[in-house]
Formats: sequence, C-alpha cells, structure tokens
Amino acid sequence: MAEQQKFFEVIKSDTNIDFIGRQKYWIGLSIVLVLLTILMLPLNAYVFADRGHMLNWGVDFRGGTELVVEFSRPVEAAQVHQALADAGLHNAEVVRYGSGGPGTTSSYMVRMGAVSVMSPDQAKKVEASLATVAGANLRKFESSEGGDKVYLRFDKNIEPSAIANAFKAAGTEAAQVQPFGPPQDNTYEITLVGMDGEVRKALDAKLGAGAVKAIPQVSSVGAKAGKQLQVDGVRALLGAILLIVVYVAFRFDFRYGPGTIVALLHDAVITVGAFAVTYKEFSLTTLAALLTIIGFSMNDTIVVFDRIREDAAKYRDRKFDRVVNHAINETLSRTILTSATVFFVTLAMNIFGTGVIRDFAFAMNVGVIVGTYSSIFIASPILIWLNDKYVAMQKRQAARPERNVRRPVRRGDEEEAAGT
Amino acid sequence: MERSWWWKAALYGAAIVLAVLYLVPTVVTDDKELPAFFQKYFKKRIQLGLDLQGGLHLVYEVNIEKAVASKVDRLANDVDDAVKKKVTDFNLVRSGRDDITITFKVPGDVAKLDDEVLKPFRRDLDVVSRDAATGIVKLRYDADRVAEVEELALRQAIETIRGRVDAFGVAEPTIIKKGTDIVVELPGAKSKDFERIKNIIGRTAQLEFKIVDDGSDYMKKVAASVPKGGAITVSPEAWTEKHTGAQHEDIYLRVKEKDREELNKFIAGLSGELSVPNDREIALELMSPREGGEGTPDRYYRTYLLKKRAGVTGEYLSNADESWDEMGRPEVSFTMNRQGASMMEKLTGENVGRKMAVVLDEKITSAPVIESKIGERGRITMGGYGDPFKLQQEVKDLVGVLRSGALPAPLKKSFETQVGATMGQDAIDKAKTSMGIGAIAVILFMLIYYRVAGFIANLAMTLNMLFMIAILAAFEASLTLPGIAGLVLTIGMAVDSNIVIYERIREELRHGKSPRTAVDAGFQRAFWTVFDAHVTNFVAGIVLYSYGSGPIRGFAVTLLVGIITNLLTSVWISRWMFEILVSRRGATRTTLSI
Repeated sequence: MAEQQKFFEVIKSDTNIDFIGRQKYWIGLSIVLVLLTILMLPLNAYVFADRGHMLNWGVDFRGGTELVVEFSRPVEAAQVHQALADAGLHNAEVVRYGSGGPGTTSSYMVRMGAVSVMSPDQAKKVEASLATVAGANLRKFESSEGGDKVYLRFDKNIEPSAIANAFKAAGTEAAQVQPFGPPQDNTYEITLVGMDGEVRKALDAKLGAGAVKAIPQVSSVGAKAGKQLQVDGVRALLGAILLIVVYVAFRFDFRYGPGTIVALLHDAVITVGAFAVTYKEFSLTTLAALLTIIGFSMNDTIVVFDRIREDAAKYRDRKFDRVVNHAINETLSRTILTSATVFFVTLAMNIFGTGVIRDFAFAMNVGVIVGTYSSIFIASPILIWLNDKYVAMQKRQAARPERNVRRPVRRGDEEEAAGT
Repeated sequence: MERSWWWKAALYGAAIVLAVLYLVPTVVTDDKELPAFFQKYFKKRIQLGLDLQGGLHLVYEVNIEKAVASKVDRLANDVDDAVKKKVTDFNLVRSGRDDITITFKVPGDVAKLDDEVLKPFRRDLDVVSRDAATGIVKLRYDADRVAEVEELALRQAIETIRGRVDAFGVAEPTIIKKGTDIVVELPGAKSKDFERIKNIIGRTAQLEFKIVDDGSDYMKKVAASVPKGGAITVSPEAWTEKHTGAQHEDIYLRVKEKDREELNKFIAGLSGELSVPNDREIALELMSPREGGEGTPDRYYRTYLLKKRAGVTGEYLSNADESWDEMGRPEVSFTMNRQGASMMEKLTGENVGRKMAVVLDEKITSAPVIESKIGERGRITMGGYGDPFKLQQEVKDLVGVLRSGALPAPLKKSFETQVGATMGQDAIDKAKTSMGIGAIAVILFMLIYYRVAGFIANLAMTLNMLFMIAILAAFEASLTLPGIAGLVLTIGMAVDSNIVIYERIREELRHGKSPRTAVDAGFQRAFWTVFDAHVTNFVAGIVLYSYGSGPIRGFAVTLLVGIITNLLTSVWISRWMFEILVSRRGATRTTLSI
C-alpha cells in the first residue's frame, strides 16, 4: 500500500471516545436542562416581577403595539419610559434598538400591550364618562380591541365637539368625531389618534418639541390574532417534527423513529429554555428559527444514523452499542466541523446583524449546539434501547437465531461485500 | 476525458449562462439601461421585501356575520314583495342574523303563503313554523347557505381590495386569503400614503340610488313644527319638469354646516304623528353654494325625504371614471351593466321630474332632478370640498373604490406593520455586513482545511448562490430580512454537504484506496446521507412556508430554493470538478489535495 496520506485534521481519525458508556450522565444533563426550562416558564410568569410572562412574547404573539422611535438627541431609556408613563401610556417596555438611521443619536424599541390608544380599562373609563353627554344618554358603546374606531349610540342627537371633549376629559384623544348612519340613529363614529401619533406627542411634550426624529416602524396585532399565531406556531412545530419522523421511519426503519422525535423535541424545548432564561423576545422569527433548528438537528442525526446502519451491517459480530459508539466516533470529525461552521456563520449574524436577523441567529446558536449534542447523546441511546428490546422480542418470538440488527438491503451494501 | 463529462460540461455551462442572464436585470436596476433583448426575455428581478424597502402589512378580518345579515335583509325585501302580491295586511319583521317573521292580520292568510309564493326562496329559506291560529309564519335562512355566503364574502372582499389597491397604484401588492383573514402586503408604499391607503381599503363604498319623495304632506307637517327663530330654517323649492311642464314643489329644512347637530337632534326628536314613516327616511346633504360673488358663502346641510328602499345599487356598476362638470370641477361618471341599466331605466322612467339621491355609504353626495329616463350612464358630483386638490384626490379615490365595487361586509383590521424606508436601508447594510463576514469565514476555513478540494467546495458554493439568486429573480420573489438569513444559512448547508462528502473521501483514502476510487466511493456513499438531510430540511421548509406569513414566508422560499440548488451544486457539479482532478493520467494523492 502507498504511503499514508496526511490530512489537516481537527479530530484525529483514530479518535475513540466512549460516548455510549457514559450516556447516563449526558442523558441526566439533558433531563436537568429540560426540567429547568419547564421550571423557568412559571418562574418568569409569576416570580420575577420584571418579567411577567412565561416567555418574552413578541408583539406578534402577545398582541399589542411595537414602535421603533428615533430621537434627534441622546435620550435615556428611563426618560422615554417616564415620558410615556406621564402621558398615561403605562407599562411600556423600552429597549435600545440598533444604532438607528444616519443622524440619529439614539433609537428605542417601545412595546405596549395596547393596540389602540384606548386600553380595555381606558375604554371602561371613557364609557363611564360618556354616560351622559350634553343631556343625552349613552345607549351603546362599541369599541373593538385593537380597533382605531369607537361607535357610540345616544338616545338623542348631540354636538360632536361635546363628544370629543368628553373623550379628552377621560384622557383619550379623539382625532375625529362624526355622525354615522342616518341621523335618527344618533350614532357617532370616533376615530382615535393612532398609537404612533400618541407616542410622538407624549415624547415631544416631555423631552422637548422635535425630540422624536421619526417613528419608522409600527406594528400592531390584535390580541385574538396573537393567540391564533401561538396556536398555529405550536401546530407547525409539531407538524414538522411528525413529517420528518415519518420520513425517517420510511427511509431507515421504525427503530430509528422514536429517537429522532425525542431528540427534536429536546432541541426545541431547550432552545425555548434559552429564550426563557435570557428573556429575549420570542417572535415569529424565533419560531422560524426553531423550525430551522429542527431541520438542522435532523440533518445531524441522519448522518450519525446512516453510519450506524452501515456499520451494523459491516460488523455483525459486535455488540450493537459498540457499533453505535464506533459510528459516532467515525462521524465525529464531520459532526464537529459542520456544526462549527454553521455556528460561526450564525454567530457572525448574531454579532453584526440587526433586529430580526439577530434574534434568529441567537436561536440558531443555541439550537446548533443542542442539536449536535442530541444526535449523539439522546437519539443514539434511544436507538440502542429500542434495538435491544426489538432483538429480545425477536428471540422470544422465534427460536431461529437472529442477527443483532435486521439488515436493510440497500445501495452500498452489495459493494461493501465485494470491496472487503 | 469521458464522453459524458463533456455532456455535463455543456449542461452546467448552459445553466450558468442562464443564471447570469436572469441576474442581469436585478443588478442593472434601471430598465432603460437594459438592452432590448433583456427587456423582452429577462425582465424579472428580485423585489425587496416589505421589511427592506418599507411599506405596509395589513391583516383584515371580514365581518362575516354582517355579510350574512345583509343577504338575509335583501331576501326579506324580496319576500315582502312576493307576499304583497297576494295579501295586503301583514307585517314582516327581520330579527337576529337569520330570522324573518311574518304576521298576518287575518290568520287565515297563512294559507296564501303557499309553496308557489315561496318557490323562488326554496333554496335560501326554511319554513320553521307556520301557525294558522295566530297567523305567524317563521322563516329562517338555510344553514348550508351561510357557509356559501361566508366563502363568497371572503372571495369578494379579496377581489375588491385587490381592485382598490391596483387603482391606488402600489407596485407588487400581495393580497391573499389566510383562513378567514385577508392579508394585504404593500411593499414600497410611502409613509405619507399609509393613512390614505388604509382608508381606501377599509371603505365599505355602498352606493345606492334612492328616489326623493317631494311635495309630501309629511314634510309640510314637519316644517310647520320647526321652532321659529332657531338655527333650523325652512326653505321651499320648486322646479319644472322639462318636457311636460309639470310643477314640482317641495319643502326642506336647512342649517348652517356648524349647526348640523341641531338638525339631527330635531329629526331624532320627531315622534308621534311626526315620526318618520316606516318606508321613508330623512337624509342630509352638505351643500356648497356654487354661485361666486362677495365672500365665501356658508356651506349648509339640507334634508331630503327619501324612499327607504334603494332603487338601484352599486352592485350593477360596470365602470367608473373621472370626468369634469360644466364648471370644470372634477366629478365621477359611471356606467351601469345591462341589468343595472334596465333597473335604472325603470326607476328613472317612473320618476321623471322627481329628484334622485345618490347615496354613498349612507351619505347623500348629490340629488339631481331626473330630466329624462336615465340608462346606463350617470354621474356623481361631490359636494363639500373647498380645497380643489382634496376634491381631485377624493374623486380619484372614489373612482378606484367604485370600480372595485362595494365590500360585501365591513372589515376589521387585526394586524398591522408599517415600515419606513430608512429602517430598511439600515437593515440592508447590517445584513450585508453579517452575510459577508460569515461567507468569508467559511470560504477561508474550507481553503485551509481542505486545500484544493476546499477550493472546489467554494466554487460550488458560489455557483449555489448564483443559481439561488437567479431562481429567486426568475420567480420575482421578494427578498426579506429573514430571506437573507436563509441565504446565509444555505451557505452553512452547502458547507455541511461538502464536509460530509470530503470526510468520507478521506476515510476511503485512509483505507488505501486510489484517489479515483476514493472519490467515487466517497460521493456514492455520502450521497444518500446528504439527500436525506436535504429532504428533512425541505419538509421543515414546506411547513414554514404554509404556516408563515410575510417575511417568514420569504425565509422559507429561500430555504426551499437553496436546498434544491445545493443538492445540484455540492453533489453533482462538485463531483464533476473532482473528476477533472482525478481522471488525469498519473493522478496521485497529491493531485487530490483534500
């Protein structure tokens, strides 16, 4: 044989680490992490006063309004918070947001639970103060949460300006009041000032006129739509996992299925856990990242499983858990390299990116690590366990001698026999 | 070289040329600089998504209940007409969303409401009860039809919104149905237009033509009850019918614009003998005196007594256009379709000499005298606009809204994102930086780790990017921020596939195989691994696409396209490049630097 070729290697080809022998510890670590995640959710919601939700749901899940505000001069987050609170916009979250556009000295992301200027509480207050306006009694008060319009019905006709004043007295600005429908209906349509207008006014009043340079981004989501997105999200995640597992069971065999399900769920849960601990925003983009992580983790698991299947056919005399350990070691170099490259690409996105990209990259960073880990320490042990059960069952069922692994007849195998 | 090698070379070469051709319009952003050849065949380019170029993202819920209710309203009118032909003394009441109750004065008349009368409504209405003792018949809207109406209302709302957005001229709008929601995406919409666009989309735009009941005794009685010296004044008006010379006289109430509430209050207070008859309604029009002269004459509101039932509605409109009246003021002219025209002919033919009110969203825009039978053409003049620019804009918006038709039901906004253009530029810059750094790091790594093979991998990766972007351009996909993340991720995936293959080749070499067999075996063995990995990612991508909206969808699209191109470049094209390396005579291990 010719001279042994030298390669540039990170992991030596003869590496042989006993992964499976110490699987108890690794599985234990995973269980601890999963439990921590489950524990962290209620802790966030009920114990940590400054958090208040299980996850830092983005505006798309929670419902509410999210604005990016650019200031023309340096402003502290606390000042912004105070200015908003003074104007009656309580519970606003103010987070520094990127560097802003050119000529902007500071910009913040402001998030509020309210979709319109009128919160449900505020609506009640307004309704109470409108009970009688200029001698007319309020018959119907119709305000949809998230809507920017309110419909009022009185028993008599009244001056729109009287309604506008009543709104003002209750602390809500009405941009426009006009009669709605036929005059005998005594119905009025009130258009409320948009959230961005209200925020701009509040900030300019407190921090000096012209303090707000621009509000370049406004998103608002009704609470109902937010709930729907949450439900859809969980459904999408589970649907993707199920489809992937069906594919794996079809391509490999049924013993390979359960390990992948558990591994994928494990990855999703722990990534969510990272979001629970850091309390980073969990938005639609994070969900997209979760689905991508599942794809990647699966990718990783498949490479390991593929080699296990190949080796199982090759070394029929060895014990299955040894075969698995050998396969993991053989693919280790590949596993480390691919995970590292994806990790560094997403790390670059995390460090140099902005907004959405950054959140996405953070989730990927966590997910790549967990995903790599789970193929070795979660999916493989479950495969071994299932295989042992399967073999034991086969033995009980038939008296005929059974191979350690049912040998799948597939491409490569014939060659293997010829080559060796 | 083998023969098949040349075939592949030609195929890959052609693919690259095609990809470059598709990319040219995206790179050369100005249409005028493109040669005629491109103008004809390769006009498509990548669009920037909403988050990158700014714009509006809106999600509406259609108020389905209202759509069903108004459908039942119309049915109730038709039933009313049908029963009137047989019985005179009865009372028809609409209640809830679905119910119609008819009470006959003479209980025995219940029998007259037989299958013959109800035949036209057989499909729509179920007879819930028919009580000959009390004379009450209860009808309910058929439950199966409710679902149909819902479906129709949603589809119609989408069509309507599309028409309106098109009329406004926003480039590349997306209007899709998602469940019972309507998602509207308008990338590139300007911040200053946001409010106006939202108004146009959300406008119900119910157009109705109603006959004015002039010279009624009722209005005379009402006019007589107006308190003297108040804000409300009573004015008479008179006109002559052109052809017959018949005189028309009417009396109406008017108030100055600012005193509108006084008038509303007065009308609402009408009761007893003076209460508005069931089949009539009093509506207001804001009048702008057209005569010039000293100062600006005050605008005022005046009343009309209308027949409540609309003679013709905007449903039958076939087109609307901007035109100018004799004074040069902009107005809207419209054309009816054949059915509408015959209804309009009948309506106006029966009422020559009377006035016809044009009612838009329950407000009278004008009430001209019908001088002769009107057929398919008519016009709407807009009162109450002092500012000519605003008037012009209102006319334009109304034309767009009328052309697209009325919304079948009111819309409720449930989701909204506005992105200003500066936000987008900042995001693009950041994305470029992060993408560049990630790509360079990967390219360097591959070169150092795998040497010549790494170079091949980098080449394959570059081709992958080229194909990906070309395909996105060919589909005129829009590139969003998450879409860029998808591109970067594809780089990661491409590297992943190459590493899987290369590590396998190294293993084969370690087993002492010749470069040629090692490359063959490496690609062959690794292929299914890479393939399975791609399929699972593809599945995740499809779920993402069908669930996600807006930017997330952009991510899914780049991911899906990337998976396909990656399989092509990192498996087939890079193998072909390896063949060049190892198929030369005397290829040694050093030639295959891996």
